[in-house]
Formats: sequence, structure tokens, C-alpha cells
Amino acid sequence: MKTFVENVLHARTGPMTTELVRHPADFGLGQVPTRLKPVSTTRSVCGFCATGCSLHIHLDANGQAINLSADGAYPVNLGMACPKGWEALTPLAASDRVTTPLLRNPQTGKLEPVGWSTALRVFTDRLKDVQQKHGPHSIAYLSTGQVPVEEMALLGALFKFGMGGLHCDSNTRQCMATAHVAYKQAFGFDAPPYTYQDFEESDVLVFVGSNPAIAHPIMWQRVMMNKNSPQIIVLDPRRTETAMAATRHVALRPKSDLFLLYGIAHVLVEENRIRRDYLDAHTTGFAEFATFLADYPPDRVAAETGIAADDIRQLARIIARGRAVSFWWTMGVNQGHESTRTAQAIINLALMTGNIGRPGTGANSITGQCNAMGSRLYANATSLLGGRDFAKPAHRAEVARILDIPEAHIPSQPSKAYDQIIDAIETGEIKGLWVIATNPAHSWINQGRFAQLREKLDFLVVQDMYATTETAQMADLVLPAAGWGEKDGVFINSERRVGLTRKVSAAPGQALSDFAIFKLIAEAWGCGDLFRRWSTPAAAFQILKDLSKGQPCDISGIRDHDHVEKRGGIQWPWTEADEASRGAAAETRGPTPSPDNQRRLFADGKFFTPDGRARLLFDAPRPMPEPTDASYPFLLNTGRGSSAQWHTGSRTNKSDVLRKLAPTALYVEIHPADADRLGIANNAPVVVRSRRGAADAFAVVTATVQPGQLFMPMHFDAVNRLTFPSFDPHSRQPSYKACAVTVDTGA
Amino acid sequence: MSTESPVGSSDGRGVPDITPFPVNGEPRAPFAPSFTQPESLQTFLAELLADQQRLQTPAARAAAIHEVQPAAFRGERFRDLIPLTAPGPGEQYAFEVDLDACSGCKACVAGCHSLNGLDENETWRDVGLVLGGAPDHPFQQTVTTACHHCADPACLNGCPVLAYEKDPVTGIVRHLDDQCIGCSYCVLKCPYDVPKYNERLGIVRKCDMCHGRLAEGEAPACVQACPTQAIAIVKVATFSSETTAPNPQLAALSSTDSSYTRPTTRYVSKRELPARLRPADADTLRPQHAHLALIFLLTGTQLGLGLMIAALLPGVPAWIAGLGWAFFFAGLVASIAHLGQPFRAWRVFLNLRKSWLSREAIVLGHAFAPLSLYVAVRFGLLDHLPPPPSLVRAHLPEIVQLTGWAGAVFGLLGVFCSGMIYADTRRVFWRPAQSLGRMLGTVLVAALTFTAPVLAAAVLAAKLALELVTLRGSSHPARLQRGPLLMLLSGRLLAGGFALAFLIMHEPVLAFVWLVLGELAERTLFFRAVDSPKMPGVPAV
Repeated sequence: MKTFVENVLHARTGPMTTELVRHPADFGLGQVPTRLKPVSTTRSVCGFCATGCSLHIHLDANGQAINLSADGAYPVNLGMACPKGWEALTPLAASDRVTTPLLRNPQTGKLEPVGWSTALRVFTDRLKDVQQKHGPHSIAYLSTGQVPVEEMALLGALFKFGMGGLHCDSNTRQCMATAHVAYKQAFGFDAPPYTYQDFEESDVLVFVGSNPAIAHPIMWQRVMMNKNSPQIIVLDPRRTETAMAATRHVALRPKSDLFLLYGIAHVLVEENRIRRDYLDAHTTGFAEFATFLADYPPDRVAAETGIAADDIRQLARIIARGRAVSFWWTMGVNQGHESTRTAQAIINLALMTGNIGRPGTGANSITGQCNAMGSRLYANATSLLGGRDFAKPAHRAEVARILDIPEAHIPSQPSKAYDQIIDAIETGEIKGLWVIATNPAHSWINQGRFAQLREKLDFLVVQDMYATTETAQMADLVLPAAGWGEKDGVFINSERRVGLTRKVSAAPGQALSDFAIFKLIAEAWGCGDLFRRWSTPAAAFQILKDLSKGQPCDISGIRDHDHVEKRGGIQWPWTEADEASRGAAAETRGPTPSPDNQRRLFADGKFFTPDGRARLLFDAPRPMPEPTDASYPFLLNTGRGSSAQWHTGSRTNKSDVLRKLAPTALYVEIHPADADRLGIANNAPVVVRSRRGAADAFAVVTATVQPGQLFMPMHFDAVNRLTFPSFDPHSRQPSYKACAVTVDTGA
Repeated sequence: MSTESPVGSSDGRGVPDITPFPVNGEPRAPFAPSFTQPESLQTFLAELLADQQRLQTPAARAAAIHEVQPAAFRGERFRDLIPLTAPGPGEQYAFEVDLDACSGCKACVAGCHSLNGLDENETWRDVGLVLGGAPDHPFQQTVTTACHHCADPACLNGCPVLAYEKDPVTGIVRHLDDQCIGCSYCVLKCPYDVPKYNERLGIVRKCDMCHGRLAEGEAPACVQACPTQAIAIVKVATFSSETTAPNPQLAALSSTDSSYTRPTTRYVSKRELPARLRPADADTLRPQHAHLALIFLLTGTQLGLGLMIAALLPGVPAWIAGLGWAFFFAGLVASIAHLGQPFRAWRVFLNLRKSWLSREAIVLGHAFAPLSLYVAVRFGLLDHLPPPPSLVRAHLPEIVQLTGWAGAVFGLLGVFCSGMIYADTRRVFWRPAQSLGRMLGTVLVAALTFTAPVLAAAVLAAKLALELVTLRGSSHPARLQRGPLLMLLSGRLLAGGFALAFLIMHEPVLAFVWLVLGELAERTLFFRAVDSPKMPGVPAV
């Protein structure tokens, strides 16, 4: 009776309680709510950043994903994921997914649903019409680092070998072009040398323009796992989350990093703290570099960087004394007006101190997008498929043979880079543009110009998951694409690991994988016969293997997609010989990377240049293209604002959880002294203006930015109204991180 | 449609390599058709669309290699992050956050959300940012927070139906979802903004420290999700109510003094936290929820009570009593409408010992019966009943009057409880002088409007002055009222001004109409302009 009364008075159980009660799930998942107990699970590599985490996908009886957790048996993420990974399924269910092709009705001016047949006819008719009127090279595409290698390779092959196009590029130009060119020139191939375990093995880590604590948190976990009590040096004008965690934060002036790196190199030479034997045996260009460095004594560098000469000497000594020194750079380097030489200045330091090819060392570029590395090898834009050269007849012949296509279909001229395509639209040279899974109307530097150029295009087609992106809203035709999680293929991560991403969710309506769309277009265009071998992503993977054979990025030892998953991803190179000799040892897939499931490059000191030697490359620093002045006295830096946002937000904004974790609106960080002087209160509305446009924001008053500098997160579209279009001459990568602006209360 | 894949050699030369029986030997569902010879674009399109919808089903995957997540991985990785034994006497479980390890990735929030199956817009953990330090040595720190599982939980103390329990062994503050009536009072009581109202269910839910996982030796979701092992579960000593738990780091990170709940989360750092840390959202002005039903409850019962008190005075017409009763009744109905789970509301008496909400409900309920009886008699509604015994009949007017006054006394006590509900949240804007002053003030003005209008004007003027005090200074309530809520404030002052004018002009009916409008606006401001203590958030406008 007492219990009965107690139960009536106090409902400790019931339907609402049951909803959240957790029960042990199988598949090693621990407890999950009963409602979400999976019938089976699978694994898929995340489709946001280049860390390449494996996600453990929970499936219902229909094979449909209902939840996910981080994969505990993958050597990349060791059971962890960042919030974007945890929320990776949410954007698939967004209400604004585009479910049919959309064609702009000239009468109403609105995008209206049409069938695929119509869409394909319009696509081919309009682009062929453009080609007829303005020449075969008057069409171009802008693509992405967010789709699997099989898709980007098929796209590049279709466009250049099937459709007769030439000019194409991808949004990887905005993030990784510099690393690509820097490595290619210095090492003879685009080859980041490291494996993630190097984060754990170093005793000195130097981060240049890199904020992995929030931009690559799962890589940062490896830094935190480092048992050597490492010195962590962070070169960054801002006191970022990573700078906070560093043992030494070097708050240099924006875009003075090239000076600082030369200053450090100068001290290394001056104090004879270099590995002369290594330089002699494995590099060329040191003598010239040493002469060049004479002009960069600490005193001069101190004046340029704002870092005291003594500090510069100390930095050099820390690096010289380190047993295993690793150098890491990200967008702070890549997005600069002299970014290639800056990246190479980092490479030079690693070479001079012999910090390459050993555990815990390397001049290491941390990549941005999930498949930027795949794009760099297989997009067929700047480089011919498999990291080859369009200009070399032997390379063209080889690709023609592998793909079984006429050699004449392979152009010998280079593609225009992203900014040159934009210029060509302005001059009327390019009249038809195809945009795939990227959002230039938000992300392209000085975006106001992109909007104006729309009028110059005869035809703009956008292929995306959402018709709501800024770019899709401008399109004549929108093709509905399946997203990550709705298709199969491989990504290549930052440490060169090929990882498998799987179809675990049905795409909405008539949305199709980009691979299927490219296949349809090939048929509609009339060049389907050239791509018979590319029947499925799995078949395309075999072509990628063939294309890689004999190249530094050889993956011919990988059998197929399943093999990739079974091994917990496979880093290139992995040749047939590797598989034959070491395959069995690599069979174990576990949470701890073993020597057999990871590898680093250049242990033998042999580089991919014709003479096997690395090049020391350098140029005198150049002034910033748009310095501050009396009218625009602040220097604006842009970058990642939070771990919960991804680029233009077309996916991450669809998750309530991620939106909660991100700032609610565009803000600008300003130093308290500047804010006081201008009468700007914390949280007050302000207007940031550049010569190109204005952006409304609210002020975050914080000393983490230096006086005279501002910071704005790139995830809000108004930011790129402000940025100044300057480009590194070697990589053509835009310099997003330095433009002159002014800020006021808008009154 | 062909679903057979051509068998190819794995050297990849010539033939596509879609092997139905891959080397490792397990059969694989042919989930991708081969499109070698599409007959026409239409059929090809149909094949592609069908293939896009085809998922590899568990049956097809049955034989696929699925080594489970290695149990060793979980065990080893989290062994040091959860206690090996249950808390002993004088101890409880608590979150411990290593600020030096927290990088700000926020995976804890998303991991908790996914592993606990929360609704799409529901999060039990939050990550914010604090800024500060000297200009030449700037400081920023991310702060992750879930429920602090307080030693003296404000939510638990305030809950009228005892839907919170503090586990006697673990100290985990658990919410009983099927007990909750959805009154949201805990949301107002908790100084850390932890309980979250769930619209779908009409109840509140919150972090339970994954007690079921802990019981099985499994780490809570947030602990499992943290890449840098910054969150751990530790055992801490619970303190008696006489001592304040020494938790200076939490105090430094949260903007308000909320030590009275004795939160147990430990924030640890090898570094000295700089003085004067400021949450990134410290200056964010967030007008709070208006709680429409509560506005009607409070103004209705208070204005109604005032009128009925007036009607108890000699010579005041019965319609005033009727009007008062109608207001009072409407207020009570609104209070039920306010609940997410009104059918569970009968348990509201359970926490009379501690909750002012229980007390309000019971006391106002007890006022309603005698007041209704009194009004019914005044309207002659009971005249048709058989006459009472002669002794009663002889004293009937006195008895009726006494009943009315008893109702009035209960009513006033109820209004006092109403005021204490808000005062007890310890929010600055709702301090006793404001909460009690406004609510008893409303009763008094209403009581005097028809009986002594000029006196009513004086009281109303005093009440307006009391309200205007809150506009001074830089507190959030002051800035909210001067900023985003300025229109509402203007409306309130305008209505108050009209009411004053008509009172002075001896136009009580018109005055009352403006009084009602003015008090509704005042009570809306009361809710919307309140300060809302919470743990640090992200930059926000």
C-alpha cells in the first residue's frame, strides 16, 4: 500500500522516463537510448575537414543511419570526433534540401522544378551553345574539396577529355594551393611527409598560422597526448586557443612571418646550428640561401615583425636544440600574398635542422577540406590525373593509355586558376560556369565582384545539396546532389591516408550522387563511351589505382574500397610490393597506430625531384598589397571562428546543436584600447568598411587581437565583401588574412 | 536492370573491378548496378535514381567484418576519468574540468546530444568563453558546463511536485520526467541555466551525469567525447549547509554569485586565473520569456483580490465583487494553462516544505473557496437553498462577511507567496522589495480604486516610482528596459499615467481599465527584463 501511494505520488517511471533510459547496445557502443539502438553499424570517414576521422554509423533495419558515434578503432581519431562530426547526419535531413532539378523560369525569374531529362537537355544545350559561340574553352567549372576522389576525378576527366573544356578549378585553391605548390617545388611532388603520430613524438612543435585547437581539434588531441612535455611554439598575431595552450606565443605582426622565418634561419646559420651533413647530402640551394639570409639579421627582422631580436635568437635555439622538431602550418600561411615562399621558408628550417623523415619531425601542412588532398592529386585541374603534368607528352600518353582514350583528348595547356577564371568571366572569355558543391558567392575573396559577374555569364549551373546557398540562388539551373553520407568513395586526409566514406542514408527526392550526375551528363553530352570503365565509384577506384602506379602517390597495393575500411585507412604510398611484403602485418586495425598502418616520407633522404634532392627556395619578402593608412587604419584578419562552423555554413547552419555552439551573428574582435578610443562598447553594433564594401557586425572587445588589428570569422557571408583580392604569384591562392579596413559605430 | 557485376581482376586493367566476392571472402550485396550499356538516357536515369535509394541493409552486411569497438579501448582510455568506487559517506560525484586541457572543441556538447538521444534542439551541456587578462597578456578560456549537481540544488528546492531527487549515494541531481508538471520554475531557480524546457514533451529535462553508465563503470557521454580528456568524474566532499563549498574557480568563471546552491563541479587549472574575467556574452541583452499565462495569473489574482477586498467594505456595490471574482478566477485558470503537463498538477502540494510555488498554489486555492462563497451570497445565488439553522441565520451577515475576510486574508497570503516565488530565485530584478512591492501594490491600488481613488493614485504613484528605480544603472534589467524593451516600458508608463489621471479625476471605471492595461504591461516587463544568470556563453547579440 505504501509503495502504491508512493508510486502514485512520485512517478519515477513512465513513458517520458523510458524515452531516455539507456541500455547496452551491441557493436561495442556502450549504452544508448533504447529508441536509438542500432540493428547494425558501419563506418564512414567524416566529410568536413581533412583530419579524416572515422565515424561509427548506427543503422536501423533498413540500413538507414539513425545516429553515429566516433570510431574507437581508427588510427586517426582514436574514438573521438569534433562537434561537426557528431552532427554529420543532421544536415542531410534539412528542410531546404533540393529534391529535383530547378530551372529559372524567364517569365517569373524564379527557380522552378523540372525533370532530370529537361535539366540534362538544358545543361548540354546551353553549354554547347556557349562553346559554339565563344569557343570550346569558354566554359569552366569551379568544384570542391568536399567530394570523394572518384567523383572529382570523373568530373575532371569528363570536363577536359569529354566536354572539351579546359579551365577548371576548385575551392581547394582557397585553402591548399600553396601547400601543393610549395611541396611540389621543394620536394618534387605534393607530398606532406608526416603521419599524425608525429604530433606525439616531437619534443618541439612549431605552429605557424595554425589554430588546430579549434580548427582541427582531433589532431590537437594528439598534441595533448605527447608524453615529451614538448615545447609548443605558436606564431600567430592573435592569441588564439592554440596560442593559449602554447608554451610560447609569438605574436608577430600580420604577414611578417616570412621575415621571422628568415630571421630564425639567419640565426641558425650564424650560430652554426645547422645540419651541414644533411644539407650537403640531400638538398640543393643552401649556399645561395645562406648568402641571401645575410640580409635578415635579428635586428632587422625585429623591426619588421615586432618580435625582439633576443626572442628570435631564442626561437632559433629552441628549434636547434630540439631532438625532434615538427613544423605545422595552416591557413595563416597558405592564405597570404607570398604564401608559397613562406611555406618553403618553413620547409627550409626543417631541412636545415635535419628535422625531416624521422618520427616527430617534418615541415607539415595541415590540410583544410576532407578531400583537398585527393583534389590535389586527382582533380585534373592544375595537375594531370595522379599528380602528373599536362605539359609533358609522356604523361599525357600514359594517362591516355590507362584511361583508354585518344591522346588528342588530353589538353597540353594549363588551366586557368580560380582568380583567372573569375577575371576571364569579366573579360567575356568565359561565358558558361558550372559550380559544384561550393559557394563562391559567399566564399570568394571580394565577393561583391562575383555577384556582378553573374550578369556576364550566359549560363550558370550549380550542383549542390541545397538550393539556398548564395550561389545557387543566382543560378540558371540547379542540379540536386546527394551529400556526404549518401554516396560511396574515398577521401585522402592530411596525413595522406585514403579513407572510405559510405552511403548510409537515402538521398531526398531525385537528388543523385555527383558521380551519377557526371555519368548522366557524359551520356547526355554524347561522350559516355569514353567513361564506360567509370561505371561505379568502386570501379573508378580501380582507375585511380592504375593512375597512381609508379607515381609517388602509388596506391596500387590497395585492393578495393573494403580493403581501405578493413585496414583502418591506408596512407600513400602503398604499392603492390608493399602489400605483398607487409600487407599481412598491417591487417590489424586498432586504436593505436602501429608501424604497419602508418608511414612517413623521406626517411631515406630521397626526395621526388629528378636528382632526389630537396630544393631550398626563397625570395625577398614583399610588402602587404593593401597596407593600412589614415582612411583605413585597421588590418583585418579573417579565419575560423569556432569548431562548430564549417566554411560558408551551408551544412553546419542546418544543425541546431552546432548553431547553439557558434556565435549568433557576425562579430568583430577589437582590442580594448582601440574600442575605448573609438567609443565602441563590448557587444555594440559596428560597421566595418573596406574600399570594397561594408559589413555590419557586433564588437567583441578583447585583447586577444593586437591594437590596430581586427578579426572576423569567415563563416558569415558579409566578411568577404571586405577582403582584398591579392594572390600568391606561385599558388594563385587568395590572401584572405590581410586587408585595410576601418570600423565605426555606424552612427 | 542488371545487378550482376562483372568479375574482374584486381589489378584493375581493362575490366572494372566490382568483385562480388572480394578477397576477404564475405559476400557483398550488389548495391551498385553496373551501367555498362545504358539503352537510353531514360532507363539509365531510372537505374541511377533507384540505385541512389538503395542502402546496404543489415542482412546484406551480416557477414561483413564487424569487430566491435574494442572494449579495451573504452576501458583503458576512460579508466582514470571515472571513480573506481561509489562515493562514501560525506561524498558525492562531481564533474571535474581541466581548463588547461580544454581546447574549446565543444565535442562534449555534441557527444552528449547524440549518445543520450536528445531532441534536435536540446543540449544538456554548453560551452562558453571567458575573456580577460591584462592588455599585454590577454587571456581566453573556454568553459564547458553541464548540471553542477549542487549540494543544495535550487531546482530541487523550488520544484512544487518533487520532480527532482538528489541521489543519496552518488549525489547526482536527477529529474523525474514523468513527475514534472512543466511549470518551468526550476528554469528560473537554477542560477546556471541548466534545466531546459522541452516543448514537445511539455516538461523540463536535464543532465543526469549518465548515472546509468556510471553504474556500469562506463564513462558519461561527455567524458567519452572529450578528445583531450578534460572532463572527469571525481568524488568530492559534500559540505554541510553551514559552510560554503570552496569553489573559487567556478565563482571566477561564472558572472554571478551563486555559491548558495553549493555547486560541485570543479574547474582546475595549473595557471592562476586572471582577475576580472568576463564571459563573452556578459553584455548580451536577452529579453527573457514573457510567460503570458503567468502574467495573467499574477495580474488577474491580484487585481481580482483587490476588488473583492474593496467589496468587503461597506457600501461597495456587488458588481465590484463579481468583477473581482472574475479576474481572480481567470488568473487561476491561466495558472493551469501555463503548465506543460496540467493533468499532473494535482501533485502540486508535495513540496509545501520548501517551494513557494507549492505554497502559492495551495494558499490561493484556499482563498478561492471562501471568496467564491462570499461573492455568490452577494449575488443572491444561494438564496434558493434551504434556509440554514436559525442560529446561523441570526448571524448570517457576519458569517458571510467573515468568510469574505478569511478569503481576503488567504488571498493576501497567496499574493505574498507569489512574490516570494520570484524573490526566492535570488535574481536582482526580482528582489523582495520589487516582487512583493509590485504584487501587493497591485492588490492595494485595485482595492482603493473604487473606494478611495485619490489614495489609490498615491499608491499607484509609489508603485511606479518603485518600478522606475530599476531603470538606473548598468544592470541588465535597466539596460533591457532602456533598450530592447523601451516600447513596452513606454506603454507601461503611459497606461500608468492615464490610470493616475483618471483616479485623480474620480473616474474609477476608466482608471481601472488603464490600471489593468498598465499592470499587464508592468508584469510583462517583470518577466522580460529580468536578469538571467548563467554560465559563460559564446559571443552573441
